[in-house]
Amino acid sequence: MASDLNINKQTQIALYRTMVLIRQTEEALARSHQQGLIHGACHTYVGQEAVATGVCAHLKHQDVVFSTHRGHGHALAKGVPPREVIAELFGRVDGCSRGRGGSMHLFSPEVGLMGTTGIVGPNILQAAGAGYTFKLLGQSLVSVAFFGDGAVNNGAFHEGLNLAAIYQLPVLFVCENNLYATEVPFSFSSRNPQVGERGAMYGMPGIVVDGNDVLAVYQAAGEAVTRARSDGGPTLIECRTYRIRAHAEGMRDGTYRSTQEVAQWKERDPIKLLGARLTTDGIATQGELDEIGRTIRAETELAIEFAKNSPFPDPRTATDFIYSTQA
Amino acid sequence: MREITFTAAAREGLAEEMERDPTIFVVGEGIGARGGNFGTTLGLYEKYGGMRLNDTPIAERGFVGMCCGAAMTGSRPIVDFMFADFILDAMGELLNQIAKIQYMSSGRLKMPIVLRGCIGIGNSAATHHSGSYYSIYTHIPGFRVVVPSTPYDAKGLFKTAIRSDDPVMFLEHKSLLNLKGEVPEQEYYLPFGKANVVRHGEMVTVVALGLMVHKTLEAAALLEQEGISVQVIDPRTVAPLDMDTVLESIHKTGRLLIVDESFAPCGIGAEVTAQVVSRGFDDLDAPIARLNGAHTPTPYSPTLEAAVVPNTETIAQAIRDLLKE
Amino acid sequence: MATEILLPRLGWTMQEGTFGEWLKRDGETVTVGDLLYTVESDKALNEVETLEDGILYIPPDAPKTGDVIPVGARLGYLLAPGESAPSGHADIAPKREPLSPQTAVLAPSEPIDATLPRVAPSQPIPAPIAKSIGKTIAPIPAISPRAQRIANELGVDWAHLRGSGSSGRIVERDVRAAFEAQTALSKTAAQTNAVEAESGLHNALPQVRRVIAARLSESAHTTAPVTLTTEVDATELVTLREQLRADTAAQDPFPTYTDLLAKLCAHALLEHPILNARFEGGTIVMGTSVHIGIATDTERGLLVPVVRDVHTKSVRQLASETRPLIERARAGKATGQELGGGTFTITNLGMFEIDAFTPIINLPECAILGVGRIVSKLIVIDGAREIAVRQMMYLSLTFDHRLVDGAPAARFLQRVKELITRPYLWLVGRE
Repeated sequence: MASDLNINKQTQIALYRTMVLIRQTEEALARSHQQGLIHGACHTYVGQEAVATGVCAHLKHQDVVFSTHRGHGHALAKGVPPREVIAELFGRVDGCSRGRGGSMHLFSPEVGLMGTTGIVGPNILQAAGAGYTFKLLGQSLVSVAFFGDGAVNNGAFHEGLNLAAIYQLPVLFVCENNLYATEVPFSFSSRNPQVGERGAMYGMPGIVVDGNDVLAVYQAAGEAVTRARSDGGPTLIECRTYRIRAHAEGMRDGTYRSTQEVAQWKERDPIKLLGARLTTDGIATQGELDEIGRTIRAETELAIEFAKNSPFPDPRTATDFIYSTQA
Repeated sequence: MREITFTAAAREGLAEEMERDPTIFVVGEGIGARGGNFGTTLGLYEKYGGMRLNDTPIAERGFVGMCCGAAMTGSRPIVDFMFADFILDAMGELLNQIAKIQYMSSGRLKMPIVLRGCIGIGNSAATHHSGSYYSIYTHIPGFRVVVPSTPYDAKGLFKTAIRSDDPVMFLEHKSLLNLKGEVPEQEYYLPFGKANVVRHGEMVTVVALGLMVHKTLEAAALLEQEGISVQVIDPRTVAPLDMDTVLESIHKTGRLLIVDESFAPCGIGAEVTAQVVSRGFDDLDAPIARLNGAHTPTPYSPTLEAAVVPNTETIAQAIRDLLKE
Repeated sequence: MATEILLPRLGWTMQEGTFGEWLKRDGETVTVGDLLYTVESDKALNEVETLEDGILYIPPDAPKTGDVIPVGARLGYLLAPGESAPSGHADIAPKREPLSPQTAVLAPSEPIDATLPRVAPSQPIPAPIAKSIGKTIAPIPAISPRAQRIANELGVDWAHLRGSGSSGRIVERDVRAAFEAQTALSKTAAQTNAVEAESGLHNALPQVRRVIAARLSESAHTTAPVTLTTEVDATELVTLREQLRADTAAQDPFPTYTDLLAKLCAHALLEHPILNARFEGGTIVMGTSVHIGIATDTERGLLVPVVRDVHTKSVRQLASETRPLIERARAGKATGQELGGGTFTITNLGMFEIDAFTPIINLPECAILGVGRIVSKLIVIDGAREIAVRQMMYLSLTFDHRLVDGAPAARFLQRVKELITRPYLWLVGRE
């Protein structure tokens, strides 16, 4: 627990609030999936909220995030309204991708969400490219790639980190090591269990943090963002965390991990951990935290209603936006 | 009018655009201080510096994906592949990301990226440096695909490519790089999707791309002495493809041959054929003919290499055969 | 080795003959010059002599008296002494029903184009295709889409063309050549003897023109055009037209004489179907529909737009259909379909103050009716007890005597005359 950090109270409450927002949106989506409101895949972020929350708390709207197939949390933490995320999964015209993307293709460039992706790896490269733009144009902006442990043995990880390093690009490479690439354990696919150590191989700082401790993530990301903004180049941050729900909603979740293991990680629930700290440190009462939960639940219910009432896109627009202009 | 080479014309277009727009940058292997293996960026590094003319590791997927992200965030990358064969290592980035970002973002992101490289069989380049895979990119929604055949077209189309907000594959036949041709001093742009009727004729229409335009013109000159009048159409851009000009020509001639150095199956000839059959069936006086490079990896030895590509004589014979149909 | 006795061609146009009788008995020894059998062709009875010696063998399936047989058909054999009769002749000597105006005529197997290789006599002649009324089966040549489009635009009937494409496909140049030949010949055919045209053109002209010349010359050989002329009292027809005119709103088309005559002819043609027949691919096809061509003078020359199913249409329908059709033909916009497929043609030269003429049969039809001007004449009527001014008109019917005899043709013309004299008769049918 990063108890020695100097993070102000409002920030801690805000981090708590964002994590609860992600958690409740995900749970609402899981219920909606069971109700048949979600037409395609739905990968929830439950258990990993501290990572997106801790990193994105440092980002401005103009900073950009390139996310993964498990990207709802990143979208919400970056500022995409829950109703736009939900409407997108419902396939509605008010979804953040106007119904063209679904869970794995959330786009909201207005707030710097440059897409979640259905392919593991490319977002690492794209984040480097955004860093290239910022550096080329002399903008003091930061680009973040979130990716799982499943991406770090993909060539894109190697090529992207190397490019960002040689060009000194303002990029954060945030690995959410949740121990499993879908169902393949990281211990199986990588002889060296350390991801953070790999930073040194590319000549960039590599940091390992407790991904369920939002304050630790916040602290590490803050240093990396500051370095990036001051032309100090990229940083690799490995956040050790755990996915509580199945890989995707509706998938069975056995065989590759034990219920005991899941139960142990539930004890280390990032919201629970921060809540305990806030009450222990006297920053908030349990009643205040409960009130945050109630407020967000009401917001989430409204978002669900909004998404349900949003129309489906006009079929005649199915081939719009393939090109910037018709040639 | 002055005559300059194909490469010089494209480079001049690049220089003009880089001067105009500071968000344009070029990456590739050896395109920085060295000026490019084919001289595509010669002299520009000194003027615009390393961030705008940046060498890369040999990591095609990496720098293509990187340029995708750059294009999403407000700059205009040009990837110089030297040989377009190398683009294949970045296929996922191209097809799944670059071609789809505009659509997935419902048009709120643009994808102003140019991917350029040499194509074509010749000089015993062998099979990893001879590919012409334009039909693959044409198959994918989202790309513009340009195959210029003259210095004039190279410059005008390259400038349009750089200004396009869509991803453009700019594919230059290596046998044309030193071809000289008239290029005006003043700035100009050529539109995509507008074919060039490079020779007017009455009896048969030939559609050809890149180097094959020149081979077909040689064949047409040969056939003129036999009283055969050939119309030659260079589409210049494969996506978008100007079928109106082709159909108009077939309305006149009734006969069509597509000469394509690349492979026949699912190729440009197949696409042109299908569209002509759909839209110009009643103009056809003979079956549509295709003359393609052999459906084979490209061999090295000069005798083998020559055997797998159409040449002036095989084109002329294909035209003669078509007229007998 | 048995020698086959084959039906010879006994004249340039002969394609088939009607078997008469054997002049020698089965098993009789014959020598060169002996008369073997009789066969009727072109209305001439021929006695055919043998060109070989041998013993006559008349197989069981040999033609019988009155059988119509194609040139080249095998009639029997001449055997050497001691030679046994050949077996297995199930495929020989196609048999046919005797020719009669009331039944469909079978196709000659001979190709129309004289330049085509002929069926070798030793091979079995392809069996003729049995015809049912209103249907015809003919091989359709391959044609390019473009050639087909242009044929439709120019009104070229391509079914008889021979293609110059590498696989025999009809291509644009074939259609254009045929069109040129067609327009050239449609003019010359009216004045020139087609035989002369054929003999003069045979070698000098391109393939397509040769084919057309051959077709015309063949029709000149094989058709026997006869023109019957009669004067008819059209007073009632004139009255009828005036009444229809009075009854028609000013903006609507009222029937022309040609419309009225087309309607009356359709009525008569249904009663005389042989005059309504088409000679298609060497076959007479008698249909149950009447499609009447209207000979039309255009800048491109004579065109014959065809009004379809005249028998089912009212006079008003005809009036509203015919004028735009003729206008399209004159403007060169009539389709190939509109310019073909007729079963009978009417040509009216009354506006040129022509009384009577000899129209040329519009192949592949069987007959054509020429219509002269209507003039007022003093006519003795009612058994010469009365003289009256009547509106008189000449009709000239040219028919193919090969297919229909003079009397039936005259009966048809008489019926048309009757319907013109008393137009109301078509309402009540034959008296």
